[in-house]
Amino acid sequence: MVKYLARRVLATVPVVIGVTLITFALMHATAGSYIPGLDLNPNLKPEDAEAIKRYLGLDRPLYVQYLTWLAGIAHGDFGRSMIDGSLVSSHIFDRLPATLELTITAILIGVLISIPLGIAGALRRGSKIDHALTALSVAGFAVPAFWLGLVLILIFSVQFEAWGLPFLPSGGVMTPGTNGGDPLDRLVHLVLPATVLSFVYLSIWSRFTRSSMLEVLSQDYVRTARAKGMSERRVVYLHALRNAVIPLITLVGLELPSLVSGGLVVEVVFSWPGIGKLLYERALQTDYTTVLGITTFAALLVVAGNLLADVLYATLDPRIRYE
Amino acid sequence: MPAPLLEVRDLKTQFFTPEGVVKAVDGVSFELHAGETLGIVGESGCGKSVTALSIMRLIPRPGRIVGGSVLFEGRDLVGLSAAEMQEVRGESIAMIFQDPMTSLNPVFRVGWQVGEPLVIHQAKDNASAGVEATRMLAKVGIPNPQQRARDFPHHFSGGMRQRAMIAMGLTTTPAVLIADEPTTALDVTIQAQILDLLRHVNREFGMATILITHNLGVVAGMCERVMVMYAGRIVESGPTADVFAHPKHPYTWSLLRSIPRLDADRREPLKPIEGSPPDLIDPPAGCSFHPRCAFRVDRCSHDDPRLQPVGDTQQAACWVTQAGTELPRA
Amino acid sequence: MISPLPIEAPVPPSTAIVARTSRGYWREAGGRLRRNRIGIVSGGVLLFFVVVALAAPLLAALITHTDYRSIDLINTFARPLTPSHILGTDELGRDELTRLLFGAQVSMGIGFLAVVVALTIGACVGLVAGFYGGLIDGLLMRFVDMILATPAIFLFILMSILFKPNTITLSLIIASVGWGSIARLVRGEVLSVRTRDFMVAARAFGASDARLIFRHLLPNVLHVMIVFGSLYLGQVVLIEAALDFLGLGISPPTPSWGNMLTNSETYFFHSSWLVIWPGVTIFLTVLAANLFGNAVRDAFDPRLR
Repeated sequence: MVKYLARRVLATVPVVIGVTLITFALMHATAGSYIPGLDLNPNLKPEDAEAIKRYLGLDRPLYVQYLTWLAGIAHGDFGRSMIDGSLVSSHIFDRLPATLELTITAILIGVLISIPLGIAGALRRGSKIDHALTALSVAGFAVPAFWLGLVLILIFSVQFEAWGLPFLPSGGVMTPGTNGGDPLDRLVHLVLPATVLSFVYLSIWSRFTRSSMLEVLSQDYVRTARAKGMSERRVVYLHALRNAVIPLITLVGLELPSLVSGGLVVEVVFSWPGIGKLLYERALQTDYTTVLGITTFAALLVVAGNLLADVLYATLDPRIRYE
Repeated sequence: MPAPLLEVRDLKTQFFTPEGVVKAVDGVSFELHAGETLGIVGESGCGKSVTALSIMRLIPRPGRIVGGSVLFEGRDLVGLSAAEMQEVRGESIAMIFQDPMTSLNPVFRVGWQVGEPLVIHQAKDNASAGVEATRMLAKVGIPNPQQRARDFPHHFSGGMRQRAMIAMGLTTTPAVLIADEPTTALDVTIQAQILDLLRHVNREFGMATILITHNLGVVAGMCERVMVMYAGRIVESGPTADVFAHPKHPYTWSLLRSIPRLDADRREPLKPIEGSPPDLIDPPAGCSFHPRCAFRVDRCSHDDPRLQPVGDTQQAACWVTQAGTELPRA
Repeated sequence: MISPLPIEAPVPPSTAIVARTSRGYWREAGGRLRRNRIGIVSGGVLLFFVVVALAAPLLAALITHTDYRSIDLINTFARPLTPSHILGTDELGRDELTRLLFGAQVSMGIGFLAVVVALTIGACVGLVAGFYGGLIDGLLMRFVDMILATPAIFLFILMSILFKPNTITLSLIIASVGWGSIARLVRGEVLSVRTRDFMVAARAFGASDARLIFRHLLPNVLHVMIVFGSLYLGQVVLIEAALDFLGLGISPPTPSWGNMLTNSETYFFHSSWLVIWPGVTIFLTVLAANLFGNAVRDAFDPRLR
């Protein structure tokens, strides 16, 4: 297993270099000629501008700048904003928990609901329930996430309030004015956005669990299990499920990398103060460096996430674990 | 003669496919006595595996047992509820399958799988089942059984996996062991070892054994009695030695003739059976073998022969031999 | 007198081999597709939206008699089924149905263009990488890995602020990420096809690299591309709508189903209908594309059911 992991780590090196190189090139192209501080002080004298440039190291040769950039990343420094000079990493640090809260909840909901739905579809293959579930997942895959969010806000927030029913908040992490200490309040705010985000996962994963389950149920070892005379329950939930879930975990693992970016649209619709919303706000302000810094961070997270997914898979499948 | 352990009467199993109804087992009847070794022989698609799966009530969709009965220990297995059948399976009648590579669950340790029938049927806990399993692994000739029990299936070779499967079938000391092509997927040298093991197990445990195979050599070495199946029916049955020495059905005769012999003249061409296996959805009228039969007469193309005693010890479903004609030496 | 058997002119070996592998396969797949009712219906719906997109100005002139730009501040937020506004009007009094019709132009246009570009680039890269293997394959696939590692939505937003998006540039922006997946897919298919006997035979008859790639490999990976293309179309429509919604894609006054929803929260209280219509059209289009894509995939490989 060590050899396997070592190979995987080595394979990520060129990708990391490639990503950082490209973001560096873009940053240089867009902000390279930008004079920091000019927005704040229009009367900046050319000599002072040069001094600032020298201070920020913008006059050094390109490859040195790239290496500085790379070194910075290794220390968690993803650059500074073009607009106000603030550290991108501190923004990321502030906003990351909110994003993770949203995406992890969505993935959990997705997994916890997909597995029973998939099993139900597989066991009742060809029945009305199965057809209904398949239709639902096909439809779910075609629904635009932002629109679903808007519609749910319309119903459960706006309309419910208009009808005098208890209603869900239409956005934000907490009720304005509070300091976010009440877990129930946070939960109530989490419901709608997490549901919307989990919707797409649900459609894909429930269908996938179903087909994985069907495939496992047709395997020889399931026939052996039945021949041993165990109850159908034991066959399905002990022998079959264990094998059927492995590919699903791989699929979920593939989503780990998008933990940071996947929620962007939902964050915007629900004014959720996460990294996606941050990138969006900064993009509207054409703050290239912040956008690039966040993108680099996210890309590196994807690479790390893929590695993690490989490890997860290896631990679950004994065929790989003990090589 | 003591009462048979297992009695199959006019068993019919069919598969309802979009192309039509496949009559996989079309009226099969036979008896199995305690401790006996019975071989079921025939080419692919003749219904031998489906017969075994029918006894175990393991027929997958879109198949169904549509008629007949399987009497075992005074009960008709065909009529049992799912729960009742689950008690019989693995405890009184055990079945092992052809491909040991795929017949063991890859994510569970071998020892645990081998001991599982005890957990299910005899309410043993995992620990004591494990002890039994290790004992069984030793019995089937697996070296270092304690170590091996903790391994996963992919660590085992093909032959070892098949031994593990046999061990799995033995743990509850069932009355009947059904082995469906147990050696087909194995190397020839391993085949011999597995057959030895089955013979040994049959003698030591007194278990009745049904051995299903397409390989006549396997039957010759292992089974006291043999049944030859064709197109979902038994066409000949009797003591192995007798059937092989003087077959009473043209199909058996052709099978025996087609085996290449070491002492034959090398220039002689091989003697395959002409034609191809019948369509089980729409079988030929009359005797289902008649289009390929070297001995057919007029009657064969419109009258369907039943299994009748022919000679002292054998039964055959053939107009020609039932009328007294002797088939030439194979 | 028995007439002599017709003598066929000898066919050059390489073309004969290509013909044998392609003709019956396509015809069979076409037949399976024709018999798939869901496939036919969804294909029809897709075609419907294409026609609407192409004929939008004509349809607008015939049905609604308005332009998508005409503002009518007296008649804002009209309910559906108001005379002369079947689906109502938006916050500036513009006719909703007209805007939906022209929105189809945007979605269908960008959808098909992005698919075509992504397929072309992806196929070329996949074919070359799979065929040559070795260093070229390694380099190209590392590059694809890089693209696929960066979160797509971030890339789209980044590119939207770098280049001002119109219909064409937005298609290119979306396709610039999409080609990666198809390249991987095509490469995988090439790897399994290139060792087959007919490839060796064609090479033995002196076929050049280009000929081998385009005359022999390409027809055999085409089915993978077609399936991907159909499914990708739905994805593109969703992405484009999301970008428009965020204000980073096609912007008003050009209507697109996405940007018609951009500030919809502000008019929740005035007219919820305005939230419903554009989403429904997006949903129907993507659903049709997905179902059609599934039908195409089943037509090519019924074992995967």
